[in-house]
Amino acid sequence: MATADGLGWLGKPVRADRARSAQRLRDGSRVAVIGAGPAGSMFSYFLLNMAESVALDLEVDLYEPRHFCHRGPAGCNHCGGVVSESLVQRLATEGINLPDDVVQHSLESYTLHMDVGDVEIATPLHESRIAGIYRGNGPRNSEPLDTRSFDGYLQHLANERGARLINRLVTNVRTQDDSMRIECADGSYGDYELVAIASGVNSRLLESLNDLAEDHRPPALTKTFICEFRLGKEVIRQAFGPSMHVFLLDIPRLEFAALIPKGDYVTLCLLGDDIDDRLLDRFFSSPEVIRRFPEGSIPRPVCHCYPRINVRTARPPYGDRLVMIGDSGTTRLFKDGIGAAYRTAKAAAKTAVFHGVSVEDFREYYWPLCRKIDSDNRVGKLVFWVGSLMQRSRFARRGVLHMVAAEQKQSQVPRRMSSVLWDLFSGSAPYTDVFQRTLQPGYVGSLIHHLVAGNLPFKSGADVHRPGERERGH
Amino acid sequence: MGTDSRPESSAQPFRIRAGQRAKTPACQTHCPIGGDIRGWLCILSQHHKLGLSLEQACDRAWEKLVQLNPFPATLGRICPHPCERGCSRTAKDGAVCINAVERFLGDWGTARQLPLPKILGRNCTESVGVIGAGPAGMSFAYQMSRRGYPVTIYEKTELPGGMLRHAIPDYRLPRGVLDAEIQRILDLQISLVPGIEAGDDISFAELRARHRVLFLGMGAQAARQLGVAGEAGPGVLSAIEYLARRKQGIGGGLGKRVMVVGGGNTAMDAARSARRDGAEVTLLYRRRLQEMPAVANEVQDALAEGVRFEFLAAPQRILRDGPMVIGVEVQRMRLGEADVDGRQRTVPIPGAVAAVGADTVLAAVSQKPAWRGFGEVGPDSKWLHTKKDGKLADDTWAGGDDCGPGTAARAIAQGRLAAEAAHAELRGEAPSRGQQARPAVEPASVRPDYYEVLPRGGTRRRPMERWLAEPEVEIEQTLGREQASREAARCMSCGLCFGCQQCFMYCNAGGFTRVEEPEPGRYYALALESCEGCGKCIELCPCGYLEPREGAVA
Repeated sequence: MATADGLGWLGKPVRADRARSAQRLRDGSRVAVIGAGPAGSMFSYFLLNMAESVALDLEVDLYEPRHFCHRGPAGCNHCGGVVSESLVQRLATEGINLPDDVVQHSLESYTLHMDVGDVEIATPLHESRIAGIYRGNGPRNSEPLDTRSFDGYLQHLANERGARLINRLVTNVRTQDDSMRIECADGSYGDYELVAIASGVNSRLLESLNDLAEDHRPPALTKTFICEFRLGKEVIRQAFGPSMHVFLLDIPRLEFAALIPKGDYVTLCLLGDDIDDRLLDRFFSSPEVIRRFPEGSIPRPVCHCYPRINVRTARPPYGDRLVMIGDSGTTRLFKDGIGAAYRTAKAAAKTAVFHGVSVEDFREYYWPLCRKIDSDNRVGKLVFWVGSLMQRSRFARRGVLHMVAAEQKQSQVPRRMSSVLWDLFSGSAPYTDVFQRTLQPGYVGSLIHHLVAGNLPFKSGADVHRPGERERGH
Repeated sequence: MGTDSRPESSAQPFRIRAGQRAKTPACQTHCPIGGDIRGWLCILSQHHKLGLSLEQACDRAWEKLVQLNPFPATLGRICPHPCERGCSRTAKDGAVCINAVERFLGDWGTARQLPLPKILGRNCTESVGVIGAGPAGMSFAYQMSRRGYPVTIYEKTELPGGMLRHAIPDYRLPRGVLDAEIQRILDLQISLVPGIEAGDDISFAELRARHRVLFLGMGAQAARQLGVAGEAGPGVLSAIEYLARRKQGIGGGLGKRVMVVGGGNTAMDAARSARRDGAEVTLLYRRRLQEMPAVANEVQDALAEGVRFEFLAAPQRILRDGPMVIGVEVQRMRLGEADVDGRQRTVPIPGAVAAVGADTVLAAVSQKPAWRGFGEVGPDSKWLHTKKDGKLADDTWAGGDDCGPGTAARAIAQGRLAAEAAHAELRGEAPSRGQQARPAVEPASVRPDYYEVLPRGGTRRRPMERWLAEPEVEIEQTLGREQASREAARCMSCGLCFGCQQCFMYCNAGGFTRVEEPEPGRYYALALESCEGCGKCIELCPCGYLEPREGAVA
């Protein structure tokens, strides 16, 4: 079962393993990390930490040509910017304490919007909040924020830990005798004993590496959409509150849509299968969406992009002296990309320090985690497929709404649907977990009950906000 | 649910479409010649991307450089390089040493005996006469000759070069360097007639009859006098006269104490030359150090060589004992109110007068025209007033110091502009506007933090204790090939693509494709069909080459 903790911390008799591998890191070995997003920075951080624990002296070069202090897409790593509390706590146990000024907006609930009504899902007991963050330094032309870039913070952490930041764009990686050569856009190059590729899937580096590993299949991608609306703090507080707003709409190819308040801005994140203009038009003209905005009018976004996401793991995400981490290798479907970056970074660092850097080492010690994520994603696809079936049926939507509303109203009943949706929205739990919960008799029974109750022609008593019945103040 | 509340997709984001547009960088706008500095620096720094060896790149960069300036080795030594003041790198880690790279390329071209590039085209046969073989005249002659015109230059002295030859000391510009660059121009089959003073030895009417086009580049040969009592007589001479005599090997005779009057580059040359002739040198300047028109480097070097500076001081009378100069009566000045140009007037401080001992006084207080016999086209000893393109009268063009004092770079630029205009007129073409048509680089569009910190390389100089000991040996040394290429690599290529690849690498839509045969400014082609309008490429572009296309909002 894949859980957020992935592989354990320092394993058992690791020294014996180190001696076995033909290719391993030695004192003075040079490691290149390409990309200083969360995967690259955390990999550098873990690698140096673990190396120190076995008195191994490594030189780590962290390549990143961009600056996360820039506003707008140039300094951004394109994502919705939501980190679950469980991940925040997990990072804290690794010594990565997210400072308050990295967290844009502390979110306390999800609000679910459907044509049949809205309902708020409060934080489950084990979660205290969700953190809204900016990967870069905020939207285009924004005023200086009183918060810091999430990626910039992790990069700084890696740098403090001893990774050398190199402000160059890597354009190629190739084998050179017994090591790996990294070539940069300015014509410079460097040779390394290990290269970790953390360039994500919004760079073309992976494309240029076709001849690097035989039969390498790069990750499969799909197009998403993210934009920022500037509404001002006060309006956002009134219209959105400390809640992330999720829309379950009957729009083909749209798997997930959410509005995430962040200070003066609201981030819109649309996930699905190749989000395009037609889909955007349908989304922006949905009454459920329009209603969320003050006076029913959606302003033009100040900043937008169509980031690609990884929807199928690269095969294999490693080679001799080569490992792909974060989105470059594998990630969780739609959600928790930063959590996946954390887990792959840690597993790859652990393999490199305690086992070796040959293709066999990565196959034996790194691949199992990727495979685990990969198979969980297959379950995830099923879950989203079932979800989209429900989105298409007004009958099902009414039942879901009724069930959540009833659960939220009474504190004693088990919050079956609420927790399923929460974990689905936040990515806090593996999809396999979520799916298994939906197979439990209690869940199924309860759902059937609410499907019936939710579709009765008179009010059931649950605290459901139906459109038209609810007056929103301005 | 009603549909009346549906907006007309007003929430669709603005599509920002990128455009690729070369712009004029600040170094170029600051350069009197308007040279494509970025162009030749980029050939050096991008040679590996262009598939050139460093040698090939040096050849090509030199060829680009001499398009507008046939004197790179010379100007690489003496130009006050205002280009460097425009450099976007200044605030980051110091301007690119453009002048030092120019000098390297100049010496490279000379050492390789590279021929000046001709402009092949129509057969231009109109005869061209040039008066004065200084930088303006040589530049005009070069530009006409490379277009195929037969050119004759009339020079009143025995050797060509004008002030470059006669007034600039060897320790700044060795004569061999200048000789080689002049010879290379003359090798374009220009005939040089030395020892003939136009307007005197040969009449202007005669010149008009011989040549379809005339260019007047006589310079400003006469020195202004100090205008103080006791000036006439031995012991007081002009700085240019002294410098010219020295260049001819007639030195010495200055005595022990020399006083130089003036604050320009000629004053510095005279003062430093006098130090080399063994004199104690005092320099009088009526304003302060910060107002000195001389290049800061020259002032620093003069100080280092022991020239004593007296600021806010002006000569009032030359003191003589019989015919011999024994000193100068110096009036202390203060700065008064600003005049119409905003420059503060200097006002004498009553009673603050002192006698300072001197054996020779060198006046370096500007120059003025000295010619006669040009009739109405150029009244005797009056500055020439041309149009902007150098046209003085029908078929007559002019440039250089005879149009008002300036630098050699400006003279070369004026010669070239006049040649371009004359050529266009002869061929009945519209004058070309060239690169000036490009918009200037917006300073905010250049992102210095993209570039690595690479401290200014500086130039190489001989140790200071050798300067006066070997008085005629050049102080600055030319950079090596690798050094020059490293310095060129500091150029941020403001306003022109240098192939940083970020747009290509980070465009989600794959809108950029590599150009098969790249050249500076052309590394990636942009196809807008796939553009998603996020504007990331524009914001990532470090040099300001990519810009939002006008009217590109959808």
